[in-house]
Amino acid sequence: MAVVYIRMRNRVQAKGNQTVRIKDIARIIGPEEVIIKIEEIILLTVKKEDKNIIVIDLAQVIMAIRKVDPTIEVETFGPSQTIIEIILSKKKMSYLTFALVWFLLFVGGGMTIMNFHVDVSMGEVHQKIFTIITGKVEDKPLLIQIPYSFGLGMGMILFFNHFFKKRFNEEPSPLEVEMFNYQQDLDRYVIMNENKENVRRLDDR
Amino acid sequence: MMTGKIIFGIFVGLAGGFATGAGFVAFLTVLGVIPRLTQLTKTMKMIHYYEGAIIAGVVAGTWLGLQETELSLPHFLLIPIGLADGIFNGMLAAALTEVLNVFPVLSKRIGIQEKIIYLLMALVLGKIAGSLFQWIYYVDL
Repeated sequence: MAVVYIRMRNRVQAKGNQTVRIKDIARIIGPEEVIIKIEEIILLTVKKEDKNIIVIDLAQVIMAIRKVDPTIEVETFGPSQTIIEIILSKKKMSYLTFALVWFLLFVGGGMTIMNFHVDVSMGEVHQKIFTIITGKVEDKPLLIQIPYSFGLGMGMILFFNHFFKKRFNEEPSPLEVEMFNYQQDLDRYVIMNENKENVRRLDDR
Repeated sequence: MMTGKIIFGIFVGLAGGFATGAGFVAFLTVLGVIPRLTQLTKTMKMIHYYEGAIIAGVVAGTWLGLQETELSLPHFLLIPIGLADGIFNGMLAAALTEVLNVFPVLSKRIGIQEKIIYLLMALVLGKIAGSLFQWIYYVDL
């Protein structure tokens, strides 16, 4: 009797019509001759109807292993399911969409900051600061406002820790953390709702 | 009678200050700009001094803003003040954008996970351009 250790991967990518074997979705540790036998077990073949996500539960993997050799003892650790992301056709990014979104963000960002400035009477505050510091009255205190405008951009870049490709240190930026959290939330939703082992309705029997 | 009015006035002023100050701190805490700054500069230990800086800044700003003080200092001092003002506001704006969680959703929808930094720069450049446009041109309309 051989003991094998299995660790499911979190996310894997697969192409359409690909056959998914155990070695594609899990890491297996154990006696070599057993691993060779287990790794090649075919779990499923990706079909058109699967849309773009399949969740494979650990239970399915253990069942498949026991079908081949019931004497193998399986020890598991790590996540208890793998999300297979199916890449149907490598979606080519449209530069037009990108340009439109870029323009949208550019104009939107500009408009919202103007609205904000009017909302909080930023102009009057700048005039007041000008008078406090220099003792003169100035309708357009550009000496404050132009550095202010560039500082606005610098502050945002500083917060996100990014200037195009260049970054200031190794830590992930708040945006990357936010993207990660969002992906985690999506994954948890998919694990609960796409995993056939998790959901059982009354009329399923 | 007069003493009563003065005491009541002091009480109302103090109460208003309490509420506004607490609100301001809550606002800063939610956006997390100060922790982000300590993280970027690796000065976690100094965070209490940063608290002091914020409080001193708020008190000085309130006082100067409510008085008719004129310091008669040289003009060029306005440049670092404006710059610091802008950087702080920019960090607030960035923190707000991030809280809104727009970018993760947007990048998923249009399928550009790698190019997201360019979208970020669109927002940054848009803010700079909008701000410059407002101060140089729009205010004269």
